Amino acid sequence: MNHGKMQTQATVGLYAAASALRLSLFILFPALPDLLTGRVEISTPVTSFKRFQEGLFLYNHNVSPYDGGVYHQAPLLLPLFSLLPDPAAYPIFTYLLYIVVDLLSAYALYQIAESGEAASSKLFTSPRKDKRWSGYVVAASFLFSPFTIATCLARPTSVFTTCAILHAIAKAIAGYPLTSMLALSFGAYLSMYPTLLLPPLVLLAYDRQRVDNTTPSLLQFASRCVATVSLCVSLLFSVSYLVTGSWEFIPSTYGIQLTLTDLTPNVGLWWYFFIEMFDSFRSFFLGVFWLHLSSYVGGLSIRIRSQPLVVLTLLLGIFAIFKPYPSISDASLFLAVLPLFRHVFPLMRYSFLTASTILYSTCLGPAFYHLWIYAGSGNANFFYAITLVWSLGLSLLVSDLTFAVLRDEWEVERPEMVGKEIRQI
Amino acid sequence: MSSLSEDPTSTTTITTTTSDNNPSTDNNTKRRKQPPPETPSHIRRRSFIIASFWAIVLFLGLPIWWKTTTIYRADLPLGEMMDWADGKACSPEFPIRVAIDAPDVQANEAESLVRETQQTLDAMKDFPGHRIRLEIPETPMDRAASLNPNSNTALVIRLKQGDAIATTLHPHLPILEVTYPSDSIVPGTSAASSLSTYLATELRSTFSEEQAIMSYLLATSSIPSERRPQDFSQQITESLSKRMTRSLKYSRTYHLTFSLFTSGPSPNSWEIEEAVRQYMDPVLNMLNSIHNFTIDTQVQLYATPGVQSQVLTKEDLSSFINAAEWPLSPSIGGAPTVNFVVYIGNQTIGVGSESETSQSWLIPQWGSVYLLSPPPTDYVPAELLKQPILTFTSHLLSLLGTPQSGSLPMRLSTLTRIRSADLLLRASSSLGSLARLSLALPSISIPPSVADGVAKSMHHLELACASSTSSNNGLEHARIAEEEAERAFFEKSMVGQLYFPDEHKIAVYLPLLGPVGVPLLMGLLNEIRAWKKRRAEKQKAA
Repeated sequence: MNHGKMQTQATVGLYAAASALRLSLFILFPALPDLLTGRVEISTPVTSFKRFQEGLFLYNHNVSPYDGGVYHQAPLLLPLFSLLPDPAAYPIFTYLLYIVVDLLSAYALYQIAESGEAASSKLFTSPRKDKRWSGYVVAASFLFSPFTIATCLARPTSVFTTCAILHAIAKAIAGYPLTSMLALSFGAYLSMYPTLLLPPLVLLAYDRQRVDNTTPSLLQFASRCVATVSLCVSLLFSVSYLVTGSWEFIPSTYGIQLTLTDLTPNVGLWWYFFIEMFDSFRSFFLGVFWLHLSSYVGGLSIRIRSQPLVVLTLLLGIFAIFKPYPSISDASLFLAVLPLFRHVFPLMRYSFLTASTILYSTCLGPAFYHLWIYAGSGNANFFYAITLVWSLGLSLLVSDLTFAVLRDEWEVERPEMVGKEIRQI
Repeated sequence: MSSLSEDPTSTTTITTTTSDNNPSTDNNTKRRKQPPPETPSHIRRRSFIIASFWAIVLFLGLPIWWKTTTIYRADLPLGEMMDWADGKACSPEFPIRVAIDAPDVQANEAESLVRETQQTLDAMKDFPGHRIRLEIPETPMDRAASLNPNSNTALVIRLKQGDAIATTLHPHLPILEVTYPSDSIVPGTSAASSLSTYLATELRSTFSEEQAIMSYLLATSSIPSERRPQDFSQQITESLSKRMTRSLKYSRTYHLTFSLFTSGPSPNSWEIEEAVRQYMDPVLNMLNSIHNFTIDTQVQLYATPGVQSQVLTKEDLSSFINAAEWPLSPSIGGAPTVNFVVYIGNQTIGVGSESETSQSWLIPQWGSVYLLSPPPTDYVPAELLKQPILTFTSHLLSLLGTPQSGSLPMRLSTLTRIRSADLLLRASSSLGSLARLSLALPSISIPPSVADGVAKSMHHLELACASSTSSNNGLEHARIAEEEAERAFFEKSMVGQLYFPDEHKIAVYLPLLGPVGVPLLMGLLNEIRAWKKRRAEKQKAA
C-alpha cells in the first residue's frame, strides 16, 4: 500500500515535471512554437497547426473550412477548438490543451507498461519477463523524449491520434473491448491509418477480455468489434456532416491521404517518389504504396499471434516509415511503445547502429532542409537522402525488434539454444 | 534476419542444431546439423502468412493494376475521318448563285438566255467544286430579296436595252449591269448566242479570283492530288500564297486596338471614337455576318520607335515597332488582336526614288502602322484621322483575307465562301491527322472528350457541307467543326503520352516491383515445393 502510494506520488511528480518543462518552453521561448509549427519534419499537410488555424478561421466565419484547399484535417476538431479562446490572442489555452493530451497519452502508456502485457501475454510468457521497466520509466521516456516535446510544442493534430491509439491499446489490455474500439474509432476518424491497427487490436482485446462463462469465439468477438468501430466511425461522420453541412470533408481529409495531392516535403518516402512519377502511372503506384503499407497487417498478425502488442508496436513503426504523410510525431509514438520491450533489448543486434543512424538523421535533416530551401546551395535530393537515412534507421529498429521478439519466442521452444549465435536458414 | 558468426572464438557456425550433439562427429567433420523437423502448426502458420500476402496481391493488387493502367481508347470513326481528310465524304461544292434581273425581257426569252449561258459556262473546263448557277427570280419579291446582302445570291445581272453589248460592275452593290442591243435577245439568232457567250465570259472573269483562291486552298489541303484541280499557273499560286500568309487565322471575333504613339509630349488626345464611327464602322457593319469586332484605344507619349532614322527604308519597317517597350499586348481575351498604330513623328518611308514617300505599311498577321506628321495642336481631330482610318480599313480587309476585285458586298460574299471552304478543309485535315495518329500509336490513350470532339466536328462538317449553298450557316458550322477538331487533336492528356514507348514501362515497374516481387514469388515457390515434398512423403508412408 505504502509502495503504491509512493508510486502514485512519483507519477504525479513526473507529470508535473513534464508539464512544467513544456509550459516553461512555451513561455520562455514564445517564438519556439511557431518556429516548430513551420518545420516540415513535424507539421505535415494533414496535421499542421498552421493549416488548422486557417480552417478554424474559415469555420468561425461560417465558410466551409475546406474551401481554399489548405485544411485537410478532421472536421470535429473545429468545434473543439472554437470553444477555446482564439489561439493567436490567448495561446496559453491551446498550450494547456496539448499538454493535457500529452499527459493523457503518458497515462495510457503507464497503464500499458504496468499491465506487463509486453512480456507475458495470454498465449506467451517470455523467460526474460522480470527484466522490465516500470510504467514510471516508460511514461518518463515518452514525456521527456525530444521528439515528443517538439511535437507538443509544434501542436500538430496528430497528437490526438497518438492519444487515441494509446488509449485503445490500454483499454484493450484492461479488458474493455468496447471502449478500446471506441478509442480506435476516434483515431481512425482523425487520421484514417489507425484502421489498419484493428486486426491486432481485436486479437489483443480478445486475449485480455474478462474471463466469464460466456466467452465468445474469436470470429464472433471480431465481428462485434468491427461492428462497433464501423458504427462509431459512421456516427462521427454523421456528426461531421452536421457540423460542416456537406460531405466534402471526406475527399478533403481522407481523399488527400489516398491520392497524395499535396506534395509538401516531409520525412516520409512518398512525396519525392510521386514528384518524379509519370502521371499515367501515378494512380497505380498510389495503389501499390497503400497495399504495401497494409500488407504487413495480415502477415504480422498471423506470425506473432501470441503477442498482439508486439504486432501493434511493429505496425506503428512501419506506419512511421511508410505512411503517406509521416512526421516525427509518428516516430515518437513508436519510440514511446518501444521501451515496453525492455526484456528483448539484449537480443537486439544493431542497437548502436540504429541509435546512431536516427541521431545522425535527426541532426542532419534540418540542416539539409535548410540548405535546400533557405540557403539554396542544395537541392531536393539533399533532403530526400536524409529522409532515406531516417527511414533506414527506423526500419532497422523495426526489423531488429522483430528479430529480438522472434528469437525470444524461439528460445522458449528451444531452451538449449539460449545465448548461442544463430543463422537463418 | 541472417547473422553470420563474427565471433572468432566460436569455431563452428552453429545452425539450429539438434540437442544430442555428438562430439566425435563435430570434431571430425564440422558438418552442419539438420534442424529438427518443423511442427505442423508452424507449417500451417507459414502457409497462412504467405497466403495473406498473396491474397492482397491477387485480390487488391491485380484489380488496381488493371484499373489504373488500362489505356482508355474511345472508339473513333477512323474510316469516316479518313474519308473527310481525303475529300471523299463531301466534295466541297460552293455554287455561286447568280440571279438575272431582266424586267424588260419576255420570260421565255430570258429562260433561253439563261439556259444557253449556263451551257456555255458548263462547257468551260472549271473544276467541279466551283460552279456558277444562273437563275431567274420568279417574283418581284424574290428580286428584291436577292439584293439583300445576306441572301444567298452572289450577284445580280441586270439586263438593260442599249446600243451595244457592254458591262459595268456596280461599284457598291453586287450588280453587273449589262446593256444589249434589242435584237440580240431573240432566241435562236447568232446575236443571242454571242450574248450568252459574252455573259459567260464576263461572269467567269468576275469570279476568276475566287476560283483561283479556291483552287489554291484545295491544292494546299490534305486532299490527294488526283481529286483536286491542276490547272493554274505557278505565278498565281505564288501571289495567292503571299496573300494567304498575310491574312489572319479565321476567328469569329477580332479585337481591334488603335494606338496613338507620339515621339514627344504632344499630341496627347485624339478623336478616335468619332473617326472610327465615321470612317470604319460602315465597313465593320458589313463584315458583321462574318466577324464580330471589339475595339479599344490607347495613347502613349514619349514612345521611341525601334528605328530612329528620318527616312525609313524597306528593311527598317520590320523593326519599327518597338515590341519591347510599346504596350501592344498580343491578345486580349480569347480573340486575336489586330493592331493599328498611328505614330506621330517626322519620319517618312522611302519607296525607291528620292522624291516619293509613303506613310503606311501593313504588317502580316499583326496589323498596320500609319506615320502621321505632327498636328499644330495638342489634339488630333477626327478629320486628320480620316486618311489613317481609311487606310486601316483597307488593311483590315486584306488582313482578313478579302479578295481584291469587285464591289465590297461581292468581296464579302466571296470571303464567306472562301472562309467556309478553308475551315472545312482544315477541320477535315485535322480529323485525318487524328485518325492517322491513333492508328500509328496503338498505346496512346484516347479520352472520351476526344471522341466527343470528333463526333461534334463531323456533325458540323456534315451540316456545313449540306448548307454550303446557304453561305452564312455553312461558315458557322465550319467554324465549330474546325474548333472541335483542333480541340480533339490537341487534347492535353494525349500529347503527354505521345512519346512513351512500351519498353519504358519496364523501367517504371521494375525498380520497385522487382525487389518486392522476388521475395513474394520465391516464398510462394518454396512453399509449393515443400508442400509437394510433404505430399510425396505422405504417399510413400502410406
